[in-house]
Amino acid sequence: MSNSFIFKSEFWIPKYTGVKVCSIKEFIENLKVIDKFSIFYHMYINIFNYHNLPTFYTNSISYWFYKNGRVLLAEKISIIDPLDYYDLEELRRVLVQTLEENYDETWNGREVNPFYFIKAEREIIECGYFANTLEEFIEGIKKSSINSLFYHLVTSRIENKTLINDYSAWLVNIGEAKKAEKIDKLDLYTMTLYEIKKKIINILEGE
Amino acid sequence: MLEQYIPFVGEETIHELFLISKKLKGLRVLHVNSTYKGGGVAEILHRLVPLMNDLEIKTDWKVFKGDKKFFTFTKKLHNLLHIACGHCINSEEIVYYLKITYENFKELDTENYDIVFIHDPQPMGLIIKKQPGQKWIWRCHIDTSSPDPQAWNFLENFLNTYDACIFHMPEFIYEKIEIPTYTIRPSIDPLHPKNIELPEEEIQTTLTKFGLDPEKPLILQVSRFDRLKDPFGVLKAFKLVKKKYDCQLALVGSFAPDDPEGEIVYKELINLTSDEKDVFVLNLPPDSHKEVNAFQRGATVVVQKSLKEGFGLVVSEAMWKGKPVVGSNVGGIKRQIVHGVTGYLVNSIEGAAVRIKQLLANKYFREEMGFHAKERVKHRFLIIRHLRDYLILMYKILNQIF
Repeated sequence: MSNSFIFKSEFWIPKYTGVKVCSIKEFIENLKVIDKFSIFYHMYINIFNYHNLPTFYTNSISYWFYKNGRVLLAEKISIIDPLDYYDLEELRRVLVQTLEENYDETWNGREVNPFYFIKAEREIIECGYFANTLEEFIEGIKKSSINSLFYHLVTSRIENKTLINDYSAWLVNIGEAKKAEKIDKLDLYTMTLYEIKKKIINILEGE
Repeated sequence: MLEQYIPFVGEETIHELFLISKKLKGLRVLHVNSTYKGGGVAEILHRLVPLMNDLEIKTDWKVFKGDKKFFTFTKKLHNLLHIACGHCINSEEIVYYLKITYENFKELDTENYDIVFIHDPQPMGLIIKKQPGQKWIWRCHIDTSSPDPQAWNFLENFLNTYDACIFHMPEFIYEKIEIPTYTIRPSIDPLHPKNIELPEEEIQTTLTKFGLDPEKPLILQVSRFDRLKDPFGVLKAFKLVKKKYDCQLALVGSFAPDDPEGEIVYKELINLTSDEKDVFVLNLPPDSHKEVNAFQRGATVVVQKSLKEGFGLVVSEAMWKGKPVVGSNVGGIKRQIVHGVTGYLVNSIEGAAVRIKQLLANKYFREEMGFHAKERVKHRFLIIRHLRDYLILMYKILNQIF
C-alpha cells in the first residue's frame, strides 16, 4: 500500500494582494517581491480555467501587455512555459529577466489598463480513492475532475520539487515508463484539461 | 437537488462539492440582502441557499426591510458608488439610514450564525450586531472602482469592521480597502425557469402574446428600467439599424421594490416610443422568468448597453441560450463577452449599431459565436462554480489562513 497513488484535487479562490500597477516599470518592481502564489495564479490561471476559446496568450501577464499595446513583451512572456520550473522563485527570476531584457526605458508612462496582482488561495483535498494497479489508476483518472488533473499535472510538481508530474512519477514506479513519458510531454497550454484527460486515458489504455 | 446539475458539470464536480462541504458540516450561515424579488442577487440566493443546505450547511436567507425613503437613499448611494457625479449625501439621509438599520437590528436575528454574508450597501450597517467568534463577509455586487469619495467614506464606516469582502472582479475593488479582499464571479442557474430549455412553440407564443412578430428579427435588451442600463442608447442604436434592416426592438424589464427610479425611467421610455410600432417597452412582473427566457431564446441579437454594470448576468443568461451578445465594454460585461468570439464589446451607440447590423446580416456569425458563448458560460458562470468558491472562502476564513 505504500506505493498507492492517492488522488487529490485542488481549488482556488482569487485573493487581491492589494497591489495595482499602472506602468510596466511598476509591474517589474512589484513582480520582484510579490507573493509567489500571485505568480502561480497569473501564469496558470488559463490552464485552471477551462480555456476552450482561442485565448490571446497563455497567461494573464501576457494578456495585460497585449491589452496595453506591448505585443513584443506579450510574446516574450507567453513562450515561457511555467512547467519548466518547479520552483516559483526560479520562474519569477526568469520572468523578471525577460522583462528587463526587453523593456524599453522610453515606455516609462502610465498604461491604459492597470494590472491587479491576484493571489491564488488554494485548498487541496483527497478525493477518497486511490490506485495500486494500472487498472485502478485508469479508473481513478476517469473519475477525476479537471481540478484533480490540474493538481497532479501542475501543483504536485511544485509541492514535490520535481519537474515530473506525479501521474508520470507513479507510472515509472510501476514499470510504465513509456506511458509516463507520453503523459509528461502533453502540452497543457494547447489543449483544455478535458482534452488532456481524454489523451491521458488513451495513453493509459494503450492508444 | 445537486444531482440535477450533473448533466451540466459532471458527476466528479458534484462529488468534490460533497468532499469540500464535509469540512464545513454543522456550520450555520446567514445571507442578508434587501429584496426577495428582482435583480441578480435575489436570483442567486434563491438557488444558492437551498444548495448549501443540500450540502448540510445550515443556511438561511433574511431580507433587510426598508421603506421608499430608505431605498431612494440607497439607490442614490448605489449610483454614487458607481459614478462620482457631484451629488451629496446629506445628514438627514445618513440619520434615516441609521434609523432603518436600527429597526432591522431589533428584528433580524444574526446572532445564531457562524458566518454572515451581507449583500450590497443596504444592510451593511448590521455589522454592529457582530458577535465574538462570528465571521462577517461583505459581498459587493457593485462596480466601486471609482466611487464618489463621500459615498465611499460612508461605506468605509462599516466596511473595515468586516472580516473579508468579495467583489465580482479586481477592477471593481477600491484601493483603500484594509480587509482581506476576494474576487468571485457571480453565476446563473441552468435549472432556473429563466434558463431552462423551452419548446419552440412556447417561444413563439410568448412573443406573439406581447404583440411581437415571431418572424421578424428581434433585438432585445433585458434589464431593470435604469438609466445606467442605457435603454435610451439602445433605442438610438436601434433607429440606426432600422434604416437598413426590418427588425423589432424589445426592452424588457421589471420594477424592483428597492429601485424607486424604475417607474420614472419606464414612463419616459413609453412616452418616447409611443409612435414606434416596432418598439416594445415591456414591464413584466418580477417572476416572469419563463417569459424572459422566451424573449432571450427568440431574440436574434441580444444587447446589453449599460453605462456601468455590477456584472450584468443577463449577458451570461443570453449566452447560455446560444445568443451572441453586443455589450458595452464596461464592468462585468467585458469579463463575459470575448470580443469577436462570443459577441462584441462596444463603446458607443454607433458601435452597438454596427455590431447589431453585422450579426443581423450573418447567420453563420450568430451561430458560431452563439456556440462559443454557451461553452464559455458552461465553464465559468454556472452556479456550481459559484457555490464551490463560497465553500472554499468560508473554509479559508474560518481557518484564518490569510
